[in-house]
Amino acid sequence: MVSNIIISQKEDCSPFEDVRAIKGEEAILSTHQDYCIDESKLAGGYADWLFFPKNERDIISIVNKMKEDKTPITISGARTGIVGSAVPTCGGAILSFDDMKQVKGISYDKDTQKYFVRIQPGLTLEELADILKYKRFSQEHNLDEEDWVQAFKKVERGHIFPVDPTEMTAAVGGSIAANASGGRSFKYGAMRPWVKHLRVVIESGEVLDIERGQYIAVNSKFIIKTSEKDIEIDIPTYKMPEAKNAAGLYAKPDMDLVDLFIGSEGILGIITEVDLWLIEKPEVLTNALFFKTEEDAINFVKKLRSIENLDIEYIEFFDKNAFNLLRSRRKTNPELANIDTIPEDTTTAIFFEIPFSDDTFEEIFVTLDEIATESNTSVDSGWSALDDNERDKFRKIRHAVPEIVNSIISKRKATYPNLHKLGTDMSVTDNHLQDIMTFYHQTLKETTLEYVIWGHIGDNHVHVNILPKNMEELDLGKQLYKEFAKKAVEYGGSVSAEHGIGKIKHEYLEIMYGEEGVEQMRSVKRKLDPEGLFNRDNVFSFTG
Amino acid sequence: MKIVVLVKQVPEADKVAVDPETGTLIREGITSILNPYCEYALDEAVKLKNTHPEENIEIITISMGPPQTKMALLRCLELGADKAYLLSDRKFAGSDVWATSTALKEGVVNLEPEFDLILAGKQAIDGDTAQVPAEIAEQLGVPQITYGVKVQIVDKKVEVKREIETGYQIVSARMPALVTMSKGSNIRRIPSMKEVLNARKKPLEVLTADDIGIDENKVGLKASPTQVARIFAPPEKVGGEIIDGSDHIVAAKNLLEFLIVNNYIKE
Repeated sequence: MVSNIIISQKEDCSPFEDVRAIKGEEAILSTHQDYCIDESKLAGGYADWLFFPKNERDIISIVNKMKEDKTPITISGARTGIVGSAVPTCGGAILSFDDMKQVKGISYDKDTQKYFVRIQPGLTLEELADILKYKRFSQEHNLDEEDWVQAFKKVERGHIFPVDPTEMTAAVGGSIAANASGGRSFKYGAMRPWVKHLRVVIESGEVLDIERGQYIAVNSKFIIKTSEKDIEIDIPTYKMPEAKNAAGLYAKPDMDLVDLFIGSEGILGIITEVDLWLIEKPEVLTNALFFKTEEDAINFVKKLRSIENLDIEYIEFFDKNAFNLLRSRRKTNPELANIDTIPEDTTTAIFFEIPFSDDTFEEIFVTLDEIATESNTSVDSGWSALDDNERDKFRKIRHAVPEIVNSIISKRKATYPNLHKLGTDMSVTDNHLQDIMTFYHQTLKETTLEYVIWGHIGDNHVHVNILPKNMEELDLGKQLYKEFAKKAVEYGGSVSAEHGIGKIKHEYLEIMYGEEGVEQMRSVKRKLDPEGLFNRDNVFSFTG
Repeated sequence: MKIVVLVKQVPEADKVAVDPETGTLIREGITSILNPYCEYALDEAVKLKNTHPEENIEIITISMGPPQTKMALLRCLELGADKAYLLSDRKFAGSDVWATSTALKEGVVNLEPEFDLILAGKQAIDGDTAQVPAEIAEQLGVPQITYGVKVQIVDKKVEVKREIETGYQIVSARMPALVTMSKGSNIRRIPSMKEVLNARKKPLEVLTADDIGIDENKVGLKASPTQVARIFAPPEKVGGEIIDGSDHIVAAKNLLEFLIVNNYIKE
């Protein structure tokens, strides 16, 4: 029965001494320094404990012990996040998911006619993709009496997990905690809708077993009954943007409890088990089209996404500066050889993918030919790929841009060690796409700052990357960043569409939801985790 | 004018591993691609077609392999081939370089007897023997030019710029002839949407040994005078030693010492 009341489960725990751990700040810093930092390169991480639990029982044991010792826990997935969520800046304990990569099984939901996979959260998205691709399941992976493993293996095209955050080495647990997305969120959304079920260890050391659809808020409230007390959670009242969003806690008056934990950046509990929906692998045509002006490219995007029956998988954008970066490296990087085949007067590229069948191919071609012509380009000068090898060439070209940006910044770091790039992550609503692009270019062109823009234009979510040449430029970039955040919010968007808030974007969250909104989130945290045991200082600063 | 391009589907080389215990290739997860050198050969054929409209060039690709080789041929059609033939039959299984050459030669003779030029990759990136095209030329009795990087048609002759140890050599031959291609200025091109669509409308025929009238005693394992005894991965190269160059005098001393200790020079 659907309810807003959930009763936590008391489960067995392992003896604390049996949990694999490294103790002592010195030992951790000397042999496991990687665990004190993530891709944000945020400095200042340290810890007294580094745990490698193997299962939920180990995690319960760690939570009980750390709670008793008043030691905060930073949850550590694959540390691919770029907002410092996994950096233990408050010390204490790091709980690594390195030893929790087990695939528990697979099953089929007859109502929705979909397969789902049950895994431990330490498995990476890449590992999951491989397991699905090669169908690495045996009979013991059947989650119930029926032989779904056999049936799953018989599906010739195979299955995929459709969400593809660019960083596929991210752990599934971290991706859920961040509500990660990526290009394909244009069609499939972020991680959120694909999470069917979660098990979460909360501060009491008990477990919430949350099946989507089972616990729905009533009067904007959830009640969590633990063995010690009833916790009443008031859902924050701010209105989330219509645009793609990964900033702050999910909040809707009639929301599902599972959504409170998805995207919460680990501040409310530790995910120990996940069920994810799968889809049959679609047959897709991957394309790139090249435009003389950015305006033409944006017009093409608008037309492309307005044609519903095309069912586009993703739409990605590269601006003139990104293109120039690629051109500058084409002689030294063999993977960029095809850049030479692009018309000389190209300034902007749009990459997109369309599902097709032999019956629809011709029709799709005619449609695309038409809108390409209307946008002053031609399908004859673009690129298309049908198989995975070919697609890989596209992927390498797309990934080359951020790689070149990072290498430029690395070189500048030799002179200015504290220099870093500034990468925005803001979205706006459909009707403001051209407005925000114009705003970005105009604002940046008034300065001497070097910048490139690329990203998920289908969702009106591009990454402006500012490449400061010195510390003054870095400061100027930071000021602009704030301006961009304000403008994105003004245009109905989010200050963080996919990277999250973590420890480095608190001020932008406040721009979006105001002090009151942040305080409402803090209040949820205080109810569920009064001592600030989990992921302290993620999303907002922790005040006891 | 008819140009036949001989192609092979190969496992993507940088991802192939050898199981050290069984000595066999680990095929799980390895995708198959059109051999890059074959792709360069095809690209060269397309360039000739574009630069010699007066010759009315037709490009025909022929391959021998299992049914999935169709994917490699489809790619050839996307990249500009006009038609494709796949010789696919269990009777070809186990063919060594000689038996493969025989099958492909028979394919050429039976399917495109009026060919003017045969282009092929200099070698396949899986077997790396570089013998099949040469043997085909011998069996056909036509001149062969190997390691080409640029092909031109001049006065009804084929003129090839070819790689040699010390630089390049320009060689020409009367046609029909066979030329094998190295990389040159060709790239593994990404086709356009129109090319992808059109490829699906071009003829791609799958033929058996009987279809092209090959004597089954001339192909396959029993017609192969050589056999692969063992496959093994080459030993991994160990990383070199890096001498810190921050102080050039110290670096020079260290380098000298390294060269003496390792007997590269004498004191």
